[in-house]
Amino acid sequence: MSFISSPKFPQFDGDSPATNTSISYKVQLLETKMSLFQQWAFIVKEALDKSFLVAKFFCAVHVTNTYLCSTALVQGPSMLPTFNLTNEIVLLERISTRNGKAGPGDVVILQSPENPRKFVTKRIIGMEGDNITYIVDPKNSDRTETIIVPKGHVWVQGDNIYNSYDSRNFGPVPYGLLQGKVFWRIWPAGAFGSIGRRPETVDPALKVVEQ
Amino acid sequence: MFGKWTAIAKESIDRAAIVARFLCLLHVTNTYIFSPTLVYGPSMLPTLNLTGDVVLSEYISHRLGKVGPGDVVLIQSPENPRKMITKRVVAMEGEVVSFLVDPSRSDRSRTVVVPKGHVWIQGDNIYASNDSRNFGPIPYGLIQGKVWCRVWPIDGFGSL
Repeated sequence: MSFISSPKFPQFDGDSPATNTSISYKVQLLETKMSLFQQWAFIVKEALDKSFLVAKFFCAVHVTNTYLCSTALVQGPSMLPTFNLTNEIVLLERISTRNGKAGPGDVVILQSPENPRKFVTKRIIGMEGDNITYIVDPKNSDRTETIIVPKGHVWVQGDNIYNSYDSRNFGPVPYGLLQGKVFWRIWPAGAFGSIGRRPETVDPALKVVEQ
Repeated sequence: MFGKWTAIAKESIDRAAIVARFLCLLHVTNTYIFSPTLVYGPSMLPTLNLTGDVVLSEYISHRLGKVGPGDVVLIQSPENPRKMITKRVVAMEGEVVSFLVDPSRSDRSRTVVVPKGHVWIQGDNIYASNDSRNFGPIPYGLIQGKVWCRVWPIDGFGSL
């Protein structure tokens, strides 16, 4: 929209200013003020429309992340060799845990029962009612214990039992703390692929090299 | 004639989009801000009625870590993840709780230290409440919201 060509701006013709009566000059000035306000209102309306578009996009992203599928960064030694020590990006889906379809063998992301702001990645070993026999402290002894998983709880363990802080330490976890099931790894690209229901025996990134 | 059908279809899509946007807003408010909730059962007598009260519960405090002892909260039951229960927070992590194990039968009491990241919840009606005395302290992550005030029945209107 061009400011100059708007007819509401005072157009002084080539005649001497004395030909413009003071009344029509004042009217033209008033129209100028209104048109400036209208320009400003138009800009604000456009800005609001664009921000609504951005807000709608963020809403769609948020809904997808919370109810369908989301990405997560996993790190730490407790899921070796399935997940590397350094950062890996995985896809997790949130439908299975909501429906109660997550079962033994699934890698899940859950809220840590010791720190509600922390999310940990572990594998489900047993569901409610299962008998779990686990090695309490594999680095120091061979002692095992057996426990029945109580109702509404799951038993999670990291694949690297020598260096994993899991249900052997904090006990069975209520099912409600499970956030999502990890089903695909997207980074590092060399290990792109699905996450199986059994712990990997070899580092997946090395599989490509070994042929 | 075909043009009329496309006009009708377009208008119905527009109307449906408005309804969808309204439902989205309602869902977001109900999940993340506050919502009315029907609570019933004997475990929170006399605070909450047996036959059902409608309360307003808000979903912001527990995300900010502002839930503390004395708050009535909505939690996902640790025994059945599809069930939501209403209890009062009695103690936070690190605190010592002394409770009557089975008050309708004996006077025996036990003392427990609440572990890290957990809270101890009890119903106000300790004679008929299945709470932390039965299933132990629950992780803070299971708290879904905090009960704010009662809106129905009218004569019980007010904050809890």
